[in-house]
Amino acid sequence: MIEVNHVSKEFVSAKKYPGLKGALKGLVSREKTRKVAVDDISFQIGKGEIVGYIGSNGAGKSTTIKMMTGILVPTKGTCRVNGIEPYKNRKKNAKNIGVVFGQRTQLWWDLPLSESFTILKEIYDVSDEAYRERMEFLNRVLGLDEFFSQPVRNLSLGQRMRADLGAALLHNPPVLYLDEPTIGLDLVVKDNIRAAIREINEKYQTTVVLTTHDIEDIEELCSRILIIDQGKLIYDGSLEELKERYGTKRKVVMEVPDPVQTENMPLDEYLSVSKEDYEIWADTENSTVTVSFDKNKVQVSEVIGQMMQHTQVKDVKIYETELAEIVKAIYQHRA
Amino acid sequence: MKTLKRYARLYKVFVAQFFKSLVQSKADFLIGLMGFFFTQITGIAFLYLVFEQIPVLADWSLEQLIFIYGFAQIPRGIDHLFTDNIWLVAWRLVVNGKFDRYMLRPMNLFLQVIFEKLQPDALGELLVGTILIVMSLNRGILIVDAPHILMFVVSVLAGTVIYTSIKLLFASFAFWIKISGPVLYTAYQLADFAKYPSEIYAKGMRFIITWIIPFAFVAYLPASYFLKPEVGAFATVGTECLIAAVFFIIAYGVFTLGTRVYESAGN
Amino acid sequence: MKRKLKVYMPFLENQFKRNLAYKGSFYLFILCSLFGPFISYYLWMAIYGSATGSVLGGFTQAEMVVYVFMTYVTSSLVKIDISDEISDDVMEGTVSMTLIKPIDYRMSLISKAMGESLYRFLAPAVFVWVGMEIYKVTVLGLGITPIRNLLLYIVSMIMSFFIFTLFEFCFGMVAFVTTYMFGMNMAKEAILGFLSGQLIPVSFFPEAAQQILEFLPFSSMIYAPVMVYLGKYSGMELAFVLGRQLVWIVVLYGLGSFLWGRITRRLIVLGG
Repeated sequence: MIEVNHVSKEFVSAKKYPGLKGALKGLVSREKTRKVAVDDISFQIGKGEIVGYIGSNGAGKSTTIKMMTGILVPTKGTCRVNGIEPYKNRKKNAKNIGVVFGQRTQLWWDLPLSESFTILKEIYDVSDEAYRERMEFLNRVLGLDEFFSQPVRNLSLGQRMRADLGAALLHNPPVLYLDEPTIGLDLVVKDNIRAAIREINEKYQTTVVLTTHDIEDIEELCSRILIIDQGKLIYDGSLEELKERYGTKRKVVMEVPDPVQTENMPLDEYLSVSKEDYEIWADTENSTVTVSFDKNKVQVSEVIGQMMQHTQVKDVKIYETELAEIVKAIYQHRA
Repeated sequence: MKTLKRYARLYKVFVAQFFKSLVQSKADFLIGLMGFFFTQITGIAFLYLVFEQIPVLADWSLEQLIFIYGFAQIPRGIDHLFTDNIWLVAWRLVVNGKFDRYMLRPMNLFLQVIFEKLQPDALGELLVGTILIVMSLNRGILIVDAPHILMFVVSVLAGTVIYTSIKLLFASFAFWIKISGPVLYTAYQLADFAKYPSEIYAKGMRFIITWIIPFAFVAYLPASYFLKPEVGAFATVGTECLIAAVFFIIAYGVFTLGTRVYESAGN
Repeated sequence: MKRKLKVYMPFLENQFKRNLAYKGSFYLFILCSLFGPFISYYLWMAIYGSATGSVLGGFTQAEMVVYVFMTYVTSSLVKIDISDEISDDVMEGTVSMTLIKPIDYRMSLISKAMGESLYRFLAPAVFVWVGMEIYKVTVLGLGITPIRNLLLYIVSMIMSFFIFTLFEFCFGMVAFVTTYMFGMNMAKEAILGFLSGQLIPVSFFPEAAQQILEFLPFSSMIYAPVMVYLGKYSGMELAFVLGRQLVWIVVLYGLGSFLWGRITRRLIVLGG
């Protein structure tokens, strides 16, 4: 559905200097600065996939999306969506895609939402029958009718996002790009938006590319993720694999009568591993000890078993490394 | 044909919306109208005061100059009414990345830009222009016959295209320099030179407003065709049409090229 | 007093720097602002060329050239639209914020205007003035402007600056009534340009109109300082013209305080 082949994007801008002197200098200077926003990226996305595209601010996410939508022309490489190169065949590509930029609406600010939809119906050449059917569906999953007659500028952020999502889907595009679709929304609206995306994907086999800073979006929606950092693609694979590869740490928290004494037990001997393979620390306030280890080296069941043999364990909690921590670790691992 | 119909239907939606908003903000509309009205009226008052002192100005009578002045307002007003959104491309839409949304829709970019806004203030210019032309008709200083009436319509249309092209060309520079408002403003201000006969200016100036930013073809040159029987249609209105066509092709080409180097925002 | 004024210095400085920051527009707006005087210049040349006498409205052709360019210099130094700033503040709802701060809103706006004026003095007013003086002496064959006229002009021009900015402050209060300042501004611009002598010297107006203009502040904004520069006034008349400028400063200051008081009272009651 989407093929991205060795795509790069460079931006060139005039150099700026600080201060009053700098302002005067800038008047005559012709120096340029070059910035590689996307650096030789390749990937493929199949029909019906929901792909999470993540990276820190300024990593190149939006730039990649903009090349896939036809807004930007790549400096190098090619990109095909549904067999079309978006920037060469903008109008044709536009019929195949729906786009939501969470930060900024695509709707007409001063017009009632209903008018915006009338205009979009004409722009995308949607027949009356198809329009009725789509609106019925969108009203059900997004509840647009609650605020359909209001001007867009009067909508709350949550309503606006639902409206924008609806507008992007009016022409039933096979590909949907969502750039931070849940930014700034409350938990209930986030849930609604996610549910809507899932339903659309299931019903119409819509391919979805989603950028986000909200790890929950990824966990709830995406089977596959791409991670971009400083313009380079540094991970492409399933969520499980990512967790498998980077998330092998486990944490067992146990409630014990005397945490300090438990902390000093010769756990390495009980488990017959070296001291470097795990960490243990006590929390006297909650009366717990925590053991942290790599699950490939130490079995969870063994840790709990040994502890239960040598002390009284009242309660046990097991934690996997959270995705957010994994992602943070990956960003920090750069270089 | 089908596309044309689609665009027409779409424009109808925007026009309907325009009338709705006009009714809602009558006060703003009247204030805007008044603003443009005063601007034009003081220009005319200036001419009256000057002609208190002199009988003719470089062979032109007061009545003739008033016609030129009024005639210049008509294409300016029409362009202003229909394509005012181009200013936003120059000042804002490119630099803040809001041009993105046009790029995302399966429609001609130029038409998307101009469809979005009608500028009611322009009616002030059209009103003053019409009043002055009607006054000139009453004074009997215009040549009125079938070819001249036809040429009047043609000239107004060509003049409008010249205005639009100049705006589009300079606004498109924004794709390279981010904000082209000041450049466009400068070029647009040159139109003020065209309110008076170009022969009063020095050669260099005359060259600029005739061939580089051809505002002289919008008003003064074609206006002479309607005032002086010895002036032919081809040298005036004909040339105006040619200039309009050439300028539109250049402007539209630069605009299209610009959309390819468009960098959006947030980088 | 000195300390009090120091608070307003950053406003002045910032405005100056901000203007320097945009390099492209820097050159262009200057170029653009020169169109007006050049159109006038050519137009007056043609007008004098078509005239039977050599003196029109009390001006010789050479004096008219000086008039046109000095009008430009003066208006670029004194005509600074602070009403735009006020309408922006009203639109963004930041006016009530200024009520909390321990500074006078009008003073901060006028300080900004001074920064702008200073900047415009360098780009390009001073160059236009020097160019005009050179042209006047070498081509038009007039003498160089006497120091006395220049000094009197500076005094008159500074008073013009205050008349204009104080007027603008009053005009800016309209922003509290209408949201469409663009149209209001155009109308103001047109009327002011016409009545202040920017478009045509006041002496070209019919007798009756001139008498009415005597009682309005507009001719004190541009016409008065330029006439002072040309040395058209002397003795009692000069004192009267300068005195009248002073009166307008006082009147407009009072009017501004009155309007601002009324409006802030309403702001406090209704909320900004």
